[in-house]
Amino acid sequence: MPLTDRGRRILERVPGGVLHSTTGVGCEIVRHEELCVGCGKCATNCPSGASRRSETFDVNQLLDAPADSRRGQLGGALRRLMRHAPDGPVEVPERVTVYRTIAYDDDKCLGCGTCVRNCPVEAIDALPPAVTP
Amino acid sequence: MTSAETSTIGAARQAAAADRTIVAFCCRECAYAAADASANARTPLPPTVRLVLLPCTGRVSPLHLLSALAEGADGVMVAGCLLGQCHYREGNFNAVDRVAFVQRLLKSVGVEPERCQMFTMSAGEPPKFVAAVREMDRVIGGLPPLERSPQATAHAGSALAAGARGAA
Repeated sequence: MPLTDRGRRILERVPGGVLHSTTGVGCEIVRHEELCVGCGKCATNCPSGASRRSETFDVNQLLDAPADSRRGQLGGALRRLMRHAPDGPVEVPERVTVYRTIAYDDDKCLGCGTCVRNCPVEAIDALPPAVTP
Repeated sequence: MTSAETSTIGAARQAAAADRTIVAFCCRECAYAAADASANARTPLPPTVRLVLLPCTGRVSPLHLLSALAEGADGVMVAGCLLGQCHYREGNFNAVDRVAFVQRLLKSVGVEPERCQMFTMSAGEPPKFVAAVREMDRVIGGLPPLERSPQATAHAGSALAAGARGAA
């Protein structure tokens, strides 16, 4: 099976250079932050630890979200009230399960696409591997 | 200061506080039942409060609380069951955390976090409900009216936000 550049780089990291299966590895993961609701399902299902659900939330994500999205509605209400720009990330209480910033580390990502299948709002795309034969 | 002056100031403050609006989200099992009982006992409630009936405070979302503030309320309160006595087991724990989240959001953009508060009471405690509403009325009456920017279009709004961030 031809490997993508990304797949080849991943293979270099594997001890011994042998992957038992290269199926599904090497996709380009594109995250659409403006659609994300911050549920963290990508992070809980991520096999490589590239996505991480953080305990803080960047308030600017609310203000930047499109007005018709879930975060955008909250951002619209907040924008009418705000007296100055947000001070920085806020701590999110344990039981607030959405409205979290998802940290994504491109270097750790295997490109397996598990996050794409688990995203409830289709905020993540896996671009097909650019095959270099 | 004479007592007459003090009472004048107090009256002025009360008059200023009378045009405030407080939206109280009440759970059906406890707070609303307590409100009902206090109304049956003809206990006067502050005229500023508007009650919203919810099946459980666990239904309340940050969007409800912030929208109420953005659309005209000067304060919002969530009144639910005593912690650990939720009719749906843990709905009020969810509400406590969501209220705390909204308070942090408000604080980070420079709005007084005490405009959004959570109270708990049981169905058999109408005086506690009245006390909670009066406490909220006192807090909101002591704050200036909540300023709101006019409803901006999405584009102009994001430009405003970007400008505000640039200035900070």
